[in-house]
Amino acid sequence: MQIEVKDLSCVYSEKTPFEKRALTDVSFSVEAGQSVGIVGCTGSGKSTLIQHLNGLIKLKTGKVSVLDIDLSAKKPDLRALRKGVGMLFQYPEYQLFADTVAADVKFGPQNFGMTKEEAEDAAREAVALVGLDYDEIKDRSPLDLSGGQKRRVAIAGVLAYRPKILILDEPTAGLDPAGKKEMLHLINSLKNRFVETVITVSHNMDEIAEFCRRVLVLGGGKLLYDTTPEELFYTCDVEKLGLTLPHAVRIVKGLEERGISLPRVLTEEALSKALVDYLGGKDHA
Amino acid sequence: MRDVAFGQYYPTDSFIHRLDPRTKLLASIVYIVAIFLCVDYYGYAVCFAFLVMMILVSRIPVKSVLKTVKAVLFVVLITVVINVLFYSDGNPYWEWWVIRITDAGLIFASKMAMRLIFLVIATSLVTLTTTPMNLTDGLESLMTPLKLIRFPVHDVAIIMSIALRFIPSFIEEIDKIMMAQKARGAAFDNGGLIKRAKALLPVLIPLFVSAFRRADELAMALDARCYNATDKRTKMKKLTLTWRDAVAALATAIFLAAVILLKIGFFGLLPVIP
Repeated sequence: MQIEVKDLSCVYSEKTPFEKRALTDVSFSVEAGQSVGIVGCTGSGKSTLIQHLNGLIKLKTGKVSVLDIDLSAKKPDLRALRKGVGMLFQYPEYQLFADTVAADVKFGPQNFGMTKEEAEDAAREAVALVGLDYDEIKDRSPLDLSGGQKRRVAIAGVLAYRPKILILDEPTAGLDPAGKKEMLHLINSLKNRFVETVITVSHNMDEIAEFCRRVLVLGGGKLLYDTTPEELFYTCDVEKLGLTLPHAVRIVKGLEERGISLPRVLTEEALSKALVDYLGGKDHA
Repeated sequence: MRDVAFGQYYPTDSFIHRLDPRTKLLASIVYIVAIFLCVDYYGYAVCFAFLVMMILVSRIPVKSVLKTVKAVLFVVLITVVINVLFYSDGNPYWEWWVIRITDAGLIFASKMAMRLIFLVIATSLVTLTTTPMNLTDGLESLMTPLKLIRFPVHDVAIIMSIALRFIPSFIEEIDKIMMAQKARGAAFDNGGLIKRAKALLPVLIPLFVSAFRRADELAMALDARCYNATDKRTKMKKLTLTWRDAVAALATAIFLAAVILLKIGFFGLLPVIP
């Protein structure tokens, strides 16, 4: 098990009028190679949960163990943990700080003890991975780049230290539709050849349906469902949880009400194929 | 960072919370003047008693109040040490080179420390019990006479309320950026002073960038709503004085009278102490 969470609870500002219960008895585990989506409406505890996986919030109640590092230990090796778990926050472009792109991307690798040359190589590789030209971009100020480029550089800054697990918090927020698509394909390609496990927090159910094989649903700080996207969108009352259905699922359900039953598809691509099959027209394809 | 409380508004319901902000501001000014009027320990005892009473009435946990003192503890300590070491009057207990520790020096240093601590607690009680909105409304109202000399009272008030409004947002922002950099392996809590200061750069730079961005956006939003600080603006919540303010004013007046009476020696009725 790469990630094991057991009975995790978290309360902010305990015993003050600002007290806020963020998580209650959350338990789950993730094996290497999975791609997991975490969904839930605002304030459901998603961010708090993923911050625990990186040791950014001090564990108080429950057990968390990531990459065989036990976070309930007295002094867990946080450096090793954070090197193994790459974390991309919402709007990661706002954390760029260095005067050149190269320096910013190398920040992580150098913090984790790579030498200058190793960091340079890692940065070159990471920037290429996110689809930018390292030699062209390395001496520019990250603040002068376009929005999409900034985000790519920020992702490169995380990939550069070669994490085994990648945690993404709303990776497509604020991007235009084309940018969204590119970002998802980038993440998907990383999953297959660069990182072992990807955990994505998202509000966009289409993305979850398309890219995750497993979904955790949080609501009010509790883990409500731990299931596949198909199960979730076709059998659970998703709208009651403040979530929407993916477009494809909405169409399938709508057709079902009108007496047309299709297989349980999740993506638009699969839906069009199912429709073609239903119509029995091979010539339409 | 989430728990920083340098006098951030503490939401409960109490007599002091419900006071008009102007009353609180004026009372705190009276209190500060009173602290500096005190000459002997009688005076400080009265100041202390009044402060304790206010804390109890405000229903704010003593722990939260003391947190605000923690922030200035360093300043207090330096003041005390310097006063103890270099105060020149009085009978010396110990002397070496320019250093003289005297009885008068110790007494003076203790009074200095009390003054500073009382001052910080009293002022933070105002901010702890008043929402930023109310506070600026109160200040604006108190500054109204300055309009006569063409002082832009309303502009200053809106600047203040924006500044206060953004403190929590910035704390949140710092929190976020720090987490992001920590995730990339940044360490903020080890190494010497210079190393630590340097480690803060990756937090400060994005913070400034976002501060300017926010300022820009806010200016644009104000502009888009045709905001201008004219005199014709009205308020949704008007400040009104109630019986509570009368009670508070009376209590403050009694307190001030007590301090003044003690200053003139209570007509020689009390035994003399330092």
